Amino acid sequence: MKKLLSLALSLSLAGSLAFAEPPASKQVGIDNKDYTWNAPAVEKNEALKLKGDANRGKKAYEICTACHLPTGAGRPSGPFPQLAGQHSTVMIKQLVDFRSGIRENPTMVPFAKTRSGPQEIADLAAYIETLCIPVEHGRYEGSDANQKIAAGKALYEKECIVCHKANGEGDKDQLYPVIAGQHYTYLLRQLIEIRDGARRNANPQMVNILKKLNDNDRVALAAYQASLTMEGKMCPANIATVSALPAPRKK
Amino acid sequence: MKLTVLMALASMTLSGAAFADGARLFQEKACWACHGKDGKTTLLPIYPKIAGQNVQYVEKQIQDIKSGVRATGNSAAMRGVLPLVSDSEIKEIADFVSKLKP
Repeated sequence: MKKLLSLALSLSLAGSLAFAEPPASKQVGIDNKDYTWNAPAVEKNEALKLKGDANRGKKAYEICTACHLPTGAGRPSGPFPQLAGQHSTVMIKQLVDFRSGIRENPTMVPFAKTRSGPQEIADLAAYIETLCIPVEHGRYEGSDANQKIAAGKALYEKECIVCHKANGEGDKDQLYPVIAGQHYTYLLRQLIEIRDGARRNANPQMVNILKKLNDNDRVALAAYQASLTMEGKMCPANIATVSALPAPRKK
Repeated sequence: MKLTVLMALASMTLSGAAFADGARLFQEKACWACHGKDGKTTLLPIYPKIAGQNVQYVEKQIQDIKSGVRATGNSAAMRGVLPLVSDSEIKEIADFVSKLKP
């Protein structure tokens, strides 16, 4: 029954998006026993090899500003992630994964699918990487923030630091994302969605770690992650998310 | 030049209710990304042209998509944006959309 449902779902998805470029390769997700994280894919390999042009990327980014804002800051309340300063390699992987359907999100997928191909993806990724990370992002706001952040730090240093590194800078060559400067609520949601397999392109190693965590652990971890800063990559304090809001229309 | 910067700064601090008009909301709440800046040049042909649509119809549909009553078609894509939009903002957006040239 479950199979039938997912078949119906994928058929209807395929049908509704049939006019967009069909994915070049069909990839199996984490729900499949043959899944390998970051398996080679034609479009991804090509985009990773191409030299992205940040100027062209800036133009292509215009449509993205609707949700992710011109600064790349996303929304502190968490529906849209902060993108500024993300490794180009990570941006490429995620965009290609949205395009191939292995990462599903009904709001994002149509935008990923309408990009023209590997070059535009490389350009977008190059531009996003040049943006400074806004400092005024969503953080854990509880009155116990200090305790939560301290508990999160201990967990982070035990479980996350190997891949996401001491300051949340990730690893460009390994395609591990920057998480410094990310919104607390977005991080918390990913910790749950990755654990539950809702992010079908997730790293199984990470899933195994997340399965060990309880609600408190997750809140603490996300609180700490949202407090991380990367020296040299953060925006100056006075140009943060506020300046990203479109100026009011002149009357 | 200085004056423009000052004015821009002033309008930023005053943003919110004072400048909350439909045109700004249509942009700020990401509507244009799918429906087009003119409300009719849609990102994909599966998305509706909404310019000139009846104001009450637009308001009702946004409300229904937000609450999940309407969950068909492409509403899942739009639902991801609606946590950002309040009831009064929905009214303003609906008004703005209804006045766009079809």
